[in-house]
Amino acid sequence: MKNLIRRPAEKIKNYKTLSSTNSKAKELAKRGTDPWTIIVAEKQTGGYGRKKAAWSSPKGGLYFSVILPKSNIDDLQTLTILAAFICAKTIKDNFNLEPFIKLPNDVWINGKKVGGILTENIIGKEVKTSVMGIGLNTNVRKFPKDLENIATSIKIESGKEADNQKLLKQIIRQLKEQLKTISE
Amino acid sequence: MQTEIKIGGTVYRIEIEEMEENILKVKVNDKEYFFDKSKLYEPEFKKFLPQDLGTTAKENGVISRERIEKEIKSPLSGTVSSVAVKVGQEIKPGEKLMTLIAMKMENEIVAEGYGKIKEIKVKDNQFVDNGDILIILE
Repeated sequence: MKNLIRRPAEKIKNYKTLSSTNSKAKELAKRGTDPWTIIVAEKQTGGYGRKKAAWSSPKGGLYFSVILPKSNIDDLQTLTILAAFICAKTIKDNFNLEPFIKLPNDVWINGKKVGGILTENIIGKEVKTSVMGIGLNTNVRKFPKDLENIATSIKIESGKEADNQKLLKQIIRQLKEQLKTISE
Repeated sequence: MQTEIKIGGTVYRIEIEEMEENILKVKVNDKEYFFDKSKLYEPEFKKFLPQDLGTTAKENGVISRERIEKEIKSPLSGTVSSVAVKVGQEIKPGEKLMTLIAMKMENEIVAEGYGKIKEIKVKDNQFVDNGDILIILE
């Protein structure tokens, strides 16, 4: 007998350049785009973190946002914190690196920032839409002078080229697993 | 949804709109009625007559306009990061009112209904508790 239960496949929308994957994800989510749609940009011209702090997003990095299914606010907070662990674990599993988590939203390697997570919710009386943006400095070879002491990349730290597609899929799979576990 | 119905020679223009999760707006010609959807299928709802909106209505699942969003309250505790609206501004459902930084996330607070802003009770960097009044509508 055929297995009729299918796992909902994520839809990945790739863009060459976006101002911000989170902004695009929010716009799409408001128009009813399905949860687990992933918005990926090769580079962002207006990438941002918490409190709209600029997030440098040159070509080579992995910048994406996930439209999350409707969840309660506590679960979204837990998922945001878990996302930093998931990113750190994914880096550790794929490269010979020891990332650490700067709670709640950042991943560091050797004292420099390598990735960050920003969850944004749209709330009326309850949560209407949630998107989670993840920025990882994977194959960024060089940072501008003002950032080179505070930011690093997997490429700089390991000397290896990262497979952005593969990392993306690993992270999404773990996010799905974790959200399922915490929302049960 | 818009439609027209004819009762005894009179044509009524009916417009139905979902305001928020449990509130339904039904516009008959130019008059607006608000219904609590959770009570739509209760038997007493059938007895509803629209003449006396103020008293019968509440008991029968109809809510007067005044009861909708006179006060917009914070849905969670957090710090106001930026207010996106001004006093006197007309707002509509889905319109961004302010951003609250809370629980390690950025939360865009949006309007659930229509209204005109009478007073903004909070300012940037202010901490608000869940349930605190953010905005008062006219």
